[in-house]
Amino acid sequence: MKKKLISCFLIIIFIAFIAFILIKNHISGDLQRQLQSISGGADKYTSTSIDLFDTKTDIVGYSDSEEQFAKDSKVIIDKLTYYNRIYDIYNDYEGVNNVKTINDNAGVTPVKVDKELIDMLKFGKQMYYETDGRINIAMGSVLSIWHNYREAGLDNPKEAKLPSKEELEDAAEHTNIEDMVIDEKASTVFLKDERMSLDVGAVAKGYAVQQALDYARSKGMDNILLNVGGNISCIGGRTDGSKFMVAIQNPDLESDEPYVEAFEIEDGECVVSSGDYQRYYEVDGKKYCHIINPDTLFPSDEFAQVSILAKDSGVADGFSTALFNMSLEDGKEFIAGYKNVEAMWVMPDGSKVYTQGFKDYIK
Amino acid sequence: MKRNDVILIACLLIICGLLFAGMKFWQKRNTDADAYVEVKVDGEVYATYPLNEDRVERIEYDNGCYNVLEIKDGKANVTEASCPDQICVRHKAIHYSDETIVCLPNKLTITVVGGNQNQIDATTN
Repeated sequence: MKKKLISCFLIIIFIAFIAFILIKNHISGDLQRQLQSISGGADKYTSTSIDLFDTKTDIVGYSDSEEQFAKDSKVIIDKLTYYNRIYDIYNDYEGVNNVKTINDNAGVTPVKVDKELIDMLKFGKQMYYETDGRINIAMGSVLSIWHNYREAGLDNPKEAKLPSKEELEDAAEHTNIEDMVIDEKASTVFLKDERMSLDVGAVAKGYAVQQALDYARSKGMDNILLNVGGNISCIGGRTDGSKFMVAIQNPDLESDEPYVEAFEIEDGECVVSSGDYQRYYEVDGKKYCHIINPDTLFPSDEFAQVSILAKDSGVADGFSTALFNMSLEDGKEFIAGYKNVEAMWVMPDGSKVYTQGFKDYIK
Repeated sequence: MKRNDVILIACLLIICGLLFAGMKFWQKRNTDADAYVEVKVDGEVYATYPLNEDRVERIEYDNGCYNVLEIKDGKANVTEASCPDQICVRHKAIHYSDETIVCLPNKLTITVVGGNQNQIDATTN
């Protein structure tokens, strides 16, 4: 008799469970429909490209038709394609003088380049002064050594090696940013030191995002978000009146939690993260990331990740690298000197440190 | 064993079976039946697979490189790849509409089409 009661009880629980599931689904279905009706007919579209800046580019937008969205995103992609070519340090393009052309002519001759390239290099130089050299676009000689060791180490992990201190210090003799001579009148750039080269990786992507979005805005585009390899910014919000929602990738890729933070961003707000978890190689079981500290000439390992919130994507990009290369205390002091620039640090043990403004913003 | 014991065990087994079926049913409902995975290689559509059917596909390229795509429990994941950086393998499984896993060295993109909408529009990396 008692057992019968137990079975009855279990069966009732089961029926309740199924009923709960069905009701839950019904409700969430209703919500979904409601959300769709609020957005006022405009549909959400995403276009993904893998041909730019050696990373993934997503454009998220709302449009009345797929054609309109395709047209708008093409304007942005075309702009980014142009920047990708003139900021490229690895490839030549027919009829284009880019950063590689400048590097190839180091110590030889000034190279005539587009104003957009000069503007970016001037921005890079400004970043150098503002960060006290923590970002140095003239550090190509050092970065290329690491690049080559990393590529070789990834291709053949068993043979992965570290560059020698002597090799790095020798290259570091040729990283004086003042040897990059910009002649704005003649629209030329000349590297006085023949062993010097430019590597604009810390600023070019973010700078290009800012330029492309400014251009899109001038063309009247709205309700659009751009994400170039994690350099995120937007114009307006979603068409239902809500804001775009952005997440900070969890630097611990083993974790079940994909994000460490998720929050809404305002029109024109920029977010970017720098970390040691995407691009790195391993030597004797130790990770060496792609961000090289100009002081030590070795990869920084103080943090798992640094994220920046700012009103300018180029600044956000540069500062995330700069803070990655500073101690926590120095970084806090540095960032306190800027209005509207906020930071979040993820320590190697996963704990998080925020500036007050960052904390307030994500609430 | 008494007759009632048999009834109890049978009941429990049936309940377990029904629970399992219920879970599967729930999973199916939560995975939009129309959702599919679009695999592109160098910008060209290579194949599409429904997201609610478990499968493992090995995508091979002329140069001997490959990626292994696994679709399981309504999620798509790259479980193995020949590329040196392994960024695609480290990427989490995807299931929301427009979520993408990219393998730059192999020019591969795997995108969910027509799934549930993600509340998150962009993620840093």
